[in-house]
Amino acid sequence: MAAAPELLPYKQIREDLFRPLSGVSRRYVLATCLAFIVGAAGLAAWVYQLRRGMGVTGLQRPVFWGFYIVDFVFWIGISHAGTLISAILRLTDAAWRKPVTRAAEAITVFALMIGAMFPVIHLGRAWLFYWLLPYPNSRLLWPNFRSPLLWDLTAIVTYLTGSVIYLYLPLIPDMAQLAEHNTPWRRKLYRALALGWTGSDREWHALERAMKLMACIILAVAISVHTVVAWDFAMSIAPMWHSTIFGPYFVTGAIFSGIAALLVALTALRKVLHLESYLKWHHFNNLAKLLLLMSLLWLYFTLAENLTVWYGNEPREMAVFGARTRAQYAPYFWTMVALNFVIPFVLLGIRRLRTIATATIAAVCVLAGMWLERFVIVVPTLANPRLAAASRGYAPTWVEIAITAATFAAMAMLYMIFSKLFPIIAVWEFKPHPEEDED
Amino acid sequence: MYLIGEFREKKAVAEAIRALRAGGVTPAEMDLFSEEPIKLPRGVLDRPSRMSLASVLGAIAFGSLATAFIYWVQHNYRLVTGGMPIFSFWATGVITFEMTMLGAIAATFAWFLWESGLVRKRDRGAPVPEADPGSIRLRVRCRVDDAPQAIESMRRAGAVEIERRNHD
Repeated sequence: MAAAPELLPYKQIREDLFRPLSGVSRRYVLATCLAFIVGAAGLAAWVYQLRRGMGVTGLQRPVFWGFYIVDFVFWIGISHAGTLISAILRLTDAAWRKPVTRAAEAITVFALMIGAMFPVIHLGRAWLFYWLLPYPNSRLLWPNFRSPLLWDLTAIVTYLTGSVIYLYLPLIPDMAQLAEHNTPWRRKLYRALALGWTGSDREWHALERAMKLMACIILAVAISVHTVVAWDFAMSIAPMWHSTIFGPYFVTGAIFSGIAALLVALTALRKVLHLESYLKWHHFNNLAKLLLLMSLLWLYFTLAENLTVWYGNEPREMAVFGARTRAQYAPYFWTMVALNFVIPFVLLGIRRLRTIATATIAAVCVLAGMWLERFVIVVPTLANPRLAAASRGYAPTWVEIAITAATFAAMAMLYMIFSKLFPIIAVWEFKPHPEEDED
Repeated sequence: MYLIGEFREKKAVAEAIRALRAGGVTPAEMDLFSEEPIKLPRGVLDRPSRMSLASVLGAIAFGSLATAFIYWVQHNYRLVTGGMPIFSFWATGVITFEMTMLGAIAATFAWFLWESGLVRKRDRGAPVPEADPGSIRLRVRCRVDDAPQAIESMRRAGAVEIERRNHD
């Protein structure tokens, strides 16, 4: 049996975790090229949309929010991985978090960057995005501060700023070490980013204090961000959107999909970077249990949301409810239930079936299921507005599909590049401190 | 001048710091260098911090400024609100909250840079010892006359090597 990583000599830990940064395998190049091609196709589709206008999408009256808003909500949800795993586990001092925190924090930053692009893509005239910023136009009109869309902007800016700092802070000591022995350009990069870190006790004290404070702040911000995203819907009086539980429902869904994304990322990293000694069964087991818990919580919220609508029997709400559960959108709805609850419950709930492979399968199902959930929330409501005569369906075009696919490719590409530039496991944090226990 | 003592154990470092402090060396004149955070018992080499206070002040400043800014904008450039109040904390609460948090984040990061000395470059000319994995180095700033006593204190506590260095 391999030695527990805590018992490995520090030199070996350092070598094992810094090794993936040097050299590129053929498979890595192929995967990056593939991601680049899909990403470039999405970029081309966006350029096409910019030149031809929003008419090239499937968006038309009354469904003005389609794939782009679904993607926006989905990616903002994925960004909750870093917050939950890193901040909560850091504050509760859970030892098993150490190998998974940086991978989670990186997901947060990249998912947020991708998610934040969608309101701009959705604008159509993307070059006018600065109208969202709080400054007056030539007619001295300011943005409407009452608008949930402006709330979104402030929430995402705050979360992105906090997440980047939260990812960067614990990277500093590792970058100082990487700056010692490396190729010239990497040495320059790491030295600049390490800010002259020397490893003095003043620096360590400040870093630990800052990380604890940031963990508290980022938790509050993360919850607020997805609540605000939920309020984009709930503040309107559209059927099945105007709900008081939308905030916590969205936050639960976000954490749920975030954990799933982290599980998938960790499985890939473990395999590709040969981190079997560091990312062990118990890390996956703990994350799988968290995923199962969130699956049950998600089911509870879904039931609460739908049962109250059904019991109220308000005609316009029932039109949306019917579209979701029995008519046009029923296949999506029931597939979502199967992917988000049935499959994870079977694979993760039965202990004998819970392995790294099944946890990853369940996580992939949850990712697909949560994307469908966003679709089922956004589209049927708009397709069945209060004015019944205006009802109409929605079908995405190749432009929307290409841009959506490109975001997944972009996420993979950003993650692969990050894992080649920075150690995906915090080396200094991973080192055991046996003497501390005595104190 | 500077003395740099190399230690292998945390207890030995704590012992050396206690002895040096008893001999008149202040915590400001001592720095530990290591590849990992070293937690010493309370009272040995405490580094008081005002980071939490800075964070709270940053939060209050950003939150208040953002709210005042929105109040000013909404009163000076009025929108048609359909009978709703021109300014309402309900409607601006989210922005106030987010800006409050942004203030806390910015202040925490700025204070981290300041308190860690990364931007100040305190003791710019002081020698920076390289801490190998597993070793802890204690840098002490002292006068030439006091050096023998400090060396003796460190040696007695368990320093495996002591080096005399001047400003770089």
